[in-house]
Amino acid sequence: MKRYYHVVAIPIRIVLNNFGNYNPDGMMYVLKENESKVKELVRKNPFTPVDLVQPLVIRANEGDTVEILFENKLPFATGMHFQDVDYDVMDSDGANVGFNDSTLVDYGEKIVYRFQAHHQGAFHFGDLGNPSSTEKGSNVNGLFGCLFVQPRGSWWTDPVTGKPMNSGVFADIHHPFLPDRREYAWIFHDEMPTLDLTGNPPLNPITNQPGESTHAVNYRYEPVENRVRLIEEGVVCPDCDGEEVHHDSWVFGDPATPILRGYVGDPAVIRVVHGGVKETHVFHYHVHQWFRDNTNPESEIIDSQSISPQSWYDVEPLYGLGSLHGAIGDAIIHCHLYPHFAVGMWGINRVFNTFQDGSQCYPNGVPIKALQPLRDRPVPPKPTKEKPGYPNFIPGKVGFKAPRPPLGIIGGRNMTELERNAAVPNPRPGAVFADPCGNVENPPVVEYNISLIELPIIYNRQGWHDPKGRIYVLDEDLDDICSGKKEPEPLVIHAPAGSCLRVNFTNRLPSIADGDAFQLVTRTYEVGMHIHYVKFDVLVNDGANVGWNYDSSVLPGETIRYEYFADTELKAWFFHDHLFANYHQQHGVFGAGVIHSRFSKFFDSKTGEQKLHGTQLTGQHPFIPDYRDFTLMVQDFSLIYDKEGRPLNPPQFPGSEDDPGLFGVNYRNEPLQFRLEHDCDPAYSFSSYVNGDPVTPILHAYEEDTLRIRLLQGAHEESHSFNLHGLKWKEQRPDIESRFISQTHIGISESFTLETHLPQSGDYLWTFETEEDLWNGLWGLIRAYDEEVDFLIPLPDKEAPPKRTKPLPNCTGEPPEKAKVVNPPLNAPANAPVKKFDIVAFHTPITYSKWGEHDPFGIVFALRKDMDDILSGRKNPEPLIIRANRGDIVEVSLTSYLEFEKFPFQDGIWPYPPVKEQAFYPPSVRISLHSQLISYDVKTSAGETVGFNFDQSAGPGETVHYKWFVDLPLGACGLWDMTDIRNHRSLGTFGMFIAEPRGATFLDPYTLKPVTTGNHVIIRQPFLPDIREFGIVMYDGARLVDKQEQLIVDPIAGFLLPGEDEEGDENPEVDTYDFGSRGFNYRTERLINRLYENADLEKLFSSKTHGDPSTPVFESYAGDPIIIRLVNPSERRRSHTFHLHNHYWNIDENEITSQVKSFVGEMVAGKAVDLPLHYGAGGFYEYPGDYLYRSGNIRWDIEQGMWGIMRVHSERKRHLPPLNYGKRD
Amino acid sequence: MKYPQYFYVERMKGMELQEREDRLFRELLNLKGENILIVTNSDQLNLFGQTFRPIFSGEIVEVEHGHLTLSPITIKMVNAPFFKFPVPLSIPLEKINHFTPNFDPNTRFPLT
Amino acid sequence: MKNEGIYPNMLFPTTNDIHDEALIEHFRAGMGHKLLAITPSFPFFFIGKIRDVVEDHVVVDVETVPNQELENRRWYIHVHNIELFFIEREEGPKIPELNDEIF
Repeated sequence: MKRYYHVVAIPIRIVLNNFGNYNPDGMMYVLKENESKVKELVRKNPFTPVDLVQPLVIRANEGDTVEILFENKLPFATGMHFQDVDYDVMDSDGANVGFNDSTLVDYGEKIVYRFQAHHQGAFHFGDLGNPSSTEKGSNVNGLFGCLFVQPRGSWWTDPVTGKPMNSGVFADIHHPFLPDRREYAWIFHDEMPTLDLTGNPPLNPITNQPGESTHAVNYRYEPVENRVRLIEEGVVCPDCDGEEVHHDSWVFGDPATPILRGYVGDPAVIRVVHGGVKETHVFHYHVHQWFRDNTNPESEIIDSQSISPQSWYDVEPLYGLGSLHGAIGDAIIHCHLYPHFAVGMWGINRVFNTFQDGSQCYPNGVPIKALQPLRDRPVPPKPTKEKPGYPNFIPGKVGFKAPRPPLGIIGGRNMTELERNAAVPNPRPGAVFADPCGNVENPPVVEYNISLIELPIIYNRQGWHDPKGRIYVLDEDLDDICSGKKEPEPLVIHAPAGSCLRVNFTNRLPSIADGDAFQLVTRTYEVGMHIHYVKFDVLVNDGANVGWNYDSSVLPGETIRYEYFADTELKAWFFHDHLFANYHQQHGVFGAGVIHSRFSKFFDSKTGEQKLHGTQLTGQHPFIPDYRDFTLMVQDFSLIYDKEGRPLNPPQFPGSEDDPGLFGVNYRNEPLQFRLEHDCDPAYSFSSYVNGDPVTPILHAYEEDTLRIRLLQGAHEESHSFNLHGLKWKEQRPDIESRFISQTHIGISESFTLETHLPQSGDYLWTFETEEDLWNGLWGLIRAYDEEVDFLIPLPDKEAPPKRTKPLPNCTGEPPEKAKVVNPPLNAPANAPVKKFDIVAFHTPITYSKWGEHDPFGIVFALRKDMDDILSGRKNPEPLIIRANRGDIVEVSLTSYLEFEKFPFQDGIWPYPPVKEQAFYPPSVRISLHSQLISYDVKTSAGETVGFNFDQSAGPGETVHYKWFVDLPLGACGLWDMTDIRNHRSLGTFGMFIAEPRGATFLDPYTLKPVTTGNHVIIRQPFLPDIREFGIVMYDGARLVDKQEQLIVDPIAGFLLPGEDEEGDENPEVDTYDFGSRGFNYRTERLINRLYENADLEKLFSSKTHGDPSTPVFESYAGDPIIIRLVNPSERRRSHTFHLHNHYWNIDENEITSQVKSFVGEMVAGKAVDLPLHYGAGGFYEYPGDYLYRSGNIRWDIEQGMWGIMRVHSERKRHLPPLNYGKRD
Repeated sequence: MKYPQYFYVERMKGMELQEREDRLFRELLNLKGENILIVTNSDQLNLFGQTFRPIFSGEIVEVEHGHLTLSPITIKMVNAPFFKFPVPLSIPLEKINHFTPNFDPNTRFPLT
Repeated sequence: MKNEGIYPNMLFPTTNDIHDEALIEHFRAGMGHKLLAITPSFPFFFIGKIRDVVEDHVVVDVETVPNQELENRRWYIHVHNIELFFIEREEGPKIPELNDEIF
């Protein structure tokens, strides 16, 4: 069917909350039918939010043709670029790319966009006419929206009126053959310029300094700082501090942010979209879980999920609203990054249990809007005096903190009569209004006594410490931990699935946290234990204080009983405090519970005694392989001091959330600056021979052991990139079809189980791989022993390892030997074909763009045969891309031609791009080459000198040999140097290895001659069509200079339309990890150069005006099969989104049932993906034209040059032979 | 492990088998005591949350007209390629997609 | 039995019939014994005593499946959808006991 929408882009004042915070220069898309209405409403209500001021959400069904009549009323050329739909790039791209016709329109003009939707989803649309990242840009001011594509045959109605609707963030979706469901748009966006009622930038009332940037949902945010003012003014809750009541509707009434309303059991979908420009957020939703990929019921079950700019996913809560156990009440939804949460990026899913016809009120007298029941669901009971329904049975007092729950607090109160009427048949502490354990008769009960305490924590051998560490401990370990007999580690408790868990939680914290260089005095007088994943009664057991629920925390000395049910195996569930989390979670207030398979048992890996807690255990099960269980919790914003008591990386003023402190993993770090024992050579920083073992966790195991690594992030605001060197795991653990990966992005509260095994003995490196993380010590080892050690029991289902015949290695201070024999890995067959690569690493200038941007100090990997051409300038280097086929043994000889004198910073201080905790680290002239994913013996061929493995680096003039085995056609694998992450990576020491299918040969696309390297080849294989392969190496953190040899300080130097931000700064806050230049394949096309040449914003991406960009232009013919191999082997912690216009692919190339999307989110160091484009070049309709491939980050990628063109020709070009040419000859 | 022959399928005698030369049955019988690699029909199986492709190796200890039994049986899991299941497992002949006789269970090969 | 149709040499019962019937008979012979069955469909894993065989369904008093809610009840399992199984015998290996006690 055809659908029509008339959309207008208008300037609009956006009021972001009831405190009057507003953006005077907002921009939005709106349906024409609402344009005058919304303008009038805003004129009449200049200081309060107007419902119609919301991101435009329009809907269509799968298979529909949609026509958008777009009208521009903004003072620059703009348009609408839609993701994930199929259109003719010449008339409906909403951009002006390459040699295409422009589909942007000037002020006052109109254009028709026409497209078809061929799959379901929550497709982002936004402007590409003004890609400026500053407050003069369009996206940052709200110019984005979404198209929600429903199953064919759906229709939608307004949840309040039941009437049909044309746009709106909430709808009820109906279908003849599918259950009705609630649909909620949850559109994150960040950095919107915001003023307070007085027209000034908002100040934080605690620090009296400018507040955090705005982090919002659907043009609303509800920051703690506004609400705290009401406490300070004595309007509400005189005995409250602030953060503990931030989400409390008893004190403040409901927030201005979205409240997603439904009845218990309603099927629902939250369409989570990132319309913002910069940050990667983490969506977390209390009480509920969902499939990571909702088209694949074999995908992981999760309850928090990262999202990077201009990307989306659907959250379909399993079992509907209230989850399996039917929990009623307010389930908070928030960005889990604490500073974002605190500044207002949260809302509520309100689950009613009584019918709302519009006649009821909340306890504060605010009417409850009507809510239509879903048509195929029973109508909930009407409220009665005896059973008024949620929230009106709760004995709270408006203007004061929420009441404490009945029964739960030891020695606390009983139920009131209304509470008794609302309770389950057998109310008990922790389970009053929902019974999580009730589905099972007599489930096994596991009881834990847990306290939260304060104690100093020492992070490393250099005495870096947190004097105010705050951690969860088991009560039985209290004495041992406080006396120093046991070292503090995050509390990890273990239980089998099907257990009813009871926690007696005691608050043993001092009620006042003193002030210091990092933080101001805060009365953290009540705390709780909020849990993820497990089933629980959210009203009394959330360990939080949300909406109209109870405050389920306790005061100092009090104990509260929580009850949870583990309905199924659940990986590791995160727990933490929810009352003063932003204040103290970074001090260590986090832990995890691991729900193993039912019937599992757990043992101390050293003594073999049964045990129910610990970060390292041995798991045993009668029917599945026994395993080592290993929990890693990464942290940032760790507020630590050196041994002299100097704060490390303190903020500019106490209480600032501007990236204070450093990093840890399980309360430890091992900074590289302290690992320079041998000749101050960074090449041995990871060597235990030279520098001893790290203090960070070492997982002990025997060769061939099975591992489960539980990966979580405990604190606090930043993205991290976990990499496991020499090992791989299935991305979706429950789905054996899913692809292998060896890296994952992680945000706070996310949880991953990485299941793998150790093929042979040696030290395997795990890292949080971005430069600043690694530099500051986020790495450790997995040590696989080949012979028995007395501190490790064998896995119960494995034979005992051989008796020890040789002593364990020791730290000698000397570099390890080179391996005498480099063996291929054990799984390589003896007769495997061998492919040899003679690779050299050397200094050479690299020209990054036609605008003269270059790196005079570049270091590249190249094939030896290309070295002369590069050094003589005949060839401008590209990142080395090499290929081998499944079944090949790859023999790499790597020679170093590095010279100390050719490094830019020989004094050992690398100034730019910067890292936190700068220190002496002189350049290494050694080099190595590490590959992801494929198989090798880590002792000799991991391309890094780690633990007690052999030396795998080459000094000047030396050659080191590796043997790799391509056990699977794994596709893109990142390649990088591991000898010196500080002095090498920014200069270009990375590339890509591609593990291709067996029988493949590679042809130059222009000459059709066989090639061994290059970013565009034709893959020719007898049983496959010819495929064009585009190798894209996304990089960041480059250090470039301009034509005048002046350092380019990106991102700042690349700002289009710079101006003053809301704080009056010309240069907005740039975090360490945002610095550096960026792009693809040692090339960049910074828009600022183009703007200087032609001030017309509309022409920025146009090749008619500026010629083609310096970044690769990948050529093909319409319909050509294409696979994109995409890696990010570079260094910065800011994650990027990759998007290709008008094309899409399965998000897991191995799993044909996986979702179809047009972007790759969370691209950060180590990410490697393969994108077989559906329908080939030109997409579904095989339209020729220029397709933008680019980052989704307006701030700060696109401006800074992270974009390029995929060019699809319609007619035969002389220079480009067609595919399959000569194949049958 | 010695594998007792317990079941004697009396009722099979009643079936009219004489017209049918069940060569497969006899070939499998001849393989008794040898190691075999068998791949069965489903995409994946799930043991207590642990998923794996149905790839098995082990010694044939029992062959009947409807199934065969391997003991000990190795389930080739990606994270534990040499996992020995705690009890023997019987495989219906109709669930076998393909097999290869004389297969050393200690062979390493990719599993995806 | 000879087939008179287009495949005059085709014999009945077919090989597949024999395999299928023999499998049913094997389960029938296992009545009263403990069965472990692995299926590709939810809930993937059963342990229990074989009570009966009804046509091509084995009737099992199931003691254990991966989750408690569905156990201690009678399940009818389609014999021909079982991918792997083990029927305990008087002698020989025993199916491990599963219990929910954590220690």
